[in-house]
Amino acid sequence: MSRARARRAAAALLIAAGTATVGRALAASTEAAGALGFSFREVAREAGLDAVTVFGGKDVNRYLLETTGCGAAFLDYDGDGWLDVFLVNGTTLEGFPKGQEPINHLYRNRGDGTFEDVTRKAGLAQSGWGQGVCAGDYDNDGNVDLFVTYYGQNHLYRNRGDGTFEDVTAKAGLLSKRLRWNTGCAFLDYDRDGKLDLLVANYIDLDLATAPTPDSGLCRYKGVKVACGPPGLPGGKNALYRNKGDGTFEDVSDKAGITRNSGTYGLGVSTLDFDDDGWVDAYVANDSNPSALYRNNHDGTFTDVAVPAGCAYSQDGKPQAGMGVAVGDYDRNGTMDVFKTNFAGDTATLYANTGQGFCEDRTFASGIGLNTRWLGWGTAFVDFGKDGWLDLFLVNGHVYPEVVQLKTEAGYRQRKIVYHNAAGRFEDVSERLGPPVTDPRAGRGAAFGDYDNDGDVDVVINNVNDRPDLYRTESDPSRHWLLVKLVGTQSNRSAIGARVRCTAGGVTQVQEVRGGGSYMSQNDLRVHFGLAGAAAVDRLQVRWPNGREEEWMGIAADRILTVTEGTGKGL
Amino acid sequence: MHGLLLAAALQVAASAGEARVVALNEARRLVNAGKPDAALEALRPLAADDPQAALLRGVAHYHANHPVQAIDTLLPAVPKLPEGSLERREAVQVLGLSSYLAGRIAEAIPYLEQTRRWAEGNPELSYVLGMAYVQTRQADKARDTWARSFGVPPASAAAHLLAAQMMVRAELDELADTELKQALVLDPRLPRANLLLGQTALFRGRLDEAVALFKRELEISPGDAMAFYRLGDAYTRQLQWDDALAALQKSVWINPYFSGPYILLGKTYMKKGDLAAAEGMLRQAIAYDPNNKAAHYLLGQLLQQAGRTEEARRELEAAEKLQGTTDR
Repeated sequence: MSRARARRAAAALLIAAGTATVGRALAASTEAAGALGFSFREVAREAGLDAVTVFGGKDVNRYLLETTGCGAAFLDYDGDGWLDVFLVNGTTLEGFPKGQEPINHLYRNRGDGTFEDVTRKAGLAQSGWGQGVCAGDYDNDGNVDLFVTYYGQNHLYRNRGDGTFEDVTAKAGLLSKRLRWNTGCAFLDYDRDGKLDLLVANYIDLDLATAPTPDSGLCRYKGVKVACGPPGLPGGKNALYRNKGDGTFEDVSDKAGITRNSGTYGLGVSTLDFDDDGWVDAYVANDSNPSALYRNNHDGTFTDVAVPAGCAYSQDGKPQAGMGVAVGDYDRNGTMDVFKTNFAGDTATLYANTGQGFCEDRTFASGIGLNTRWLGWGTAFVDFGKDGWLDLFLVNGHVYPEVVQLKTEAGYRQRKIVYHNAAGRFEDVSERLGPPVTDPRAGRGAAFGDYDNDGDVDVVINNVNDRPDLYRTESDPSRHWLLVKLVGTQSNRSAIGARVRCTAGGVTQVQEVRGGGSYMSQNDLRVHFGLAGAAAVDRLQVRWPNGREEEWMGIAADRILTVTEGTGKGL
Repeated sequence: MHGLLLAAALQVAASAGEARVVALNEARRLVNAGKPDAALEALRPLAADDPQAALLRGVAHYHANHPVQAIDTLLPAVPKLPEGSLERREAVQVLGLSSYLAGRIAEAIPYLEQTRRWAEGNPELSYVLGMAYVQTRQADKARDTWARSFGVPPASAAAHLLAAQMMVRAELDELADTELKQALVLDPRLPRANLLLGQTALFRGRLDEAVALFKRELEISPGDAMAFYRLGDAYTRQLQWDDALAALQKSVWINPYFSGPYILLGKTYMKKGDLAAAEGMLRQAIAYDPNNKAAHYLLGQLLQQAGRTEEARRELEAAEKLQGTTDR
């Protein structure tokens, strides 16, 4: 049947079912999928993700605190092989009566495309100004744990392995002595001792009693009074907590050089191995400041090399309002490139890693420079079409709800952007994909992972004062894939920091297991490879977080492969 | 006895009146001397409902960058000041400017319009009024205001071009584009219109369109150094280094005193692998514009890549010290 005839037939069926609107969306998606090899379907409500994320005033914000929104996580908390969803929640300045406060939500994946809200049963019903979330097995007991950041006290939840979590914040020595605005976070094993440590970005040292408000008239965006900051407000200091291995952490921020970074106002965090030396580094997207690239010095310390390496500023040395961060090898040269979302009126930034310790700003040359209207947050490099090239997904939404007064702005609620990667050159395919990509939302955090285990990567988005979105990706079934779950034995159990080289059909791709990512979010810890026409992987090489290298040969594609440290052929 | 008391009371009143005048004069002197906080202190003994004192308090608050307090002080005072008096005009003018500064743009416009009636030629007032109109999306009135100020016919191509230029300043590029397109309808060979349209296309990443617009500008103004510079900028973003080099060199030949093309020439030579030429260009840019963050930053990058880490550190530190602004 020709594609046109197939579309007509599909349309007829849908109209008969009385779902013309859905039909139009699906027809557009089908067309897009035909050309691109993928499309999206928004399924949050039918999947059971229905709790509203509450965050500050809906129409007017007095403080920047009300603007940052919350993160999201894909994690398999019950170890059943199906990704569950965790969505951070916030509050309002006015607060809520006791018992009616908004709480974070953990949704258990039933494995049939639907989720069950197990928050209270799991012991995760926490309220407050929730911000970011990251996941990792910090106690190496085989159960993935959760860390949730706050404007206020962060919470570390130890996964008991029976479907419940224990709040071990105090026991772990993570109580804060002062009020901090913690944002993005990432588990990482920076000292290669096999235990996951914690990096936590901080935004502003915000005191609501003294911070200026829009009424002062001093803080305006294009003439409209808005919440003040971050410029003019004292920046927060990022924190690094070392896992002592006995269930407790120690604050090594100063000792490790984490507080000696060039910029401040930290938001999105992702781990990466920037210089491919086998020691985990970290990137922090800073708002209105040079961003930070913490290079691991192999001695328990880091140096922020973002400025000399050329991945702190725009190509002209201008600080940008960094929000989210994506890491991936988009040009397939074997190095980890960095993509950062920024403010409206600016482009997002693509830093290509040259492999010699420097970044080359390829924002315009790669086709990313086209979009300046949108204000970006959650983002990731993902091979949606399984063609072996990493595409880009950006979640957008303006900071200030007051921008609805400005007719020339893109609005408070904004559409997403999807860039299709055609051999290293990006094309904005958002319009071609149509809804739900083009549906406007006030998006913030986003996590990326294959929740339905069908071989393509899906997206969960945490929207401000709205319900979340769950984009189920539908991709060309003729294209092959491999999803690799790594299990550390000597290295940290979650294998965060591992680097995986996958060679199939004459093409080698490199991926990593990363802590954090996107905007204050945690992506699937499994590693995804799109293999295009290759039905088998010739060679899979893993460099574990402790530096050990192993390989596996001749792996059939289109499956989820669990790889355990120490079971491969040593290199 | 009664007569004596009355005389004493009149004397007290007279000296109180003199004290009031002294305080008002002193406050005015302090405001004019750039000491608004001291002026507010001098006015403290005077009654809150004294309209002249309220006027000076409002003016002092305005100069002290307290626009909201200025509005709160002046709003009740204006009707109490004599119609047509200089005091009333000043109160209305400061009320308009304070409202604008406080972000109450629509409220500012009637006060600014009143002020324009008796201060037609005041360029600052025209600027603020035009900006107020454009921020409330009244492009026609904004254009009319600026046309009067610049002395060009309101419906002319020049008026549309000037309005566009101001809209670009206000970062209202979409409005500016509309003005520029109308300007070109009225006069297809109007200088700068294609350049401004090209700049918007360039900053939005529509690089092919930008190149075409800059070339069109150069057909109209073949000696426009800025058009060559922007053309070179577009080519660098397209990684077309040879084309960029040609355009940027022409820009420098025409105007050797602008740092912008040297910076891009530095970047271009870096990409072409000629580090010595790149360094020369970036140092030339810094010589012309020592506070140029981009020039120091790129020179730091170049030196870092050349392994001259100590020199690189100095340049990168210089770049970091220079205040940068984001789009926030």
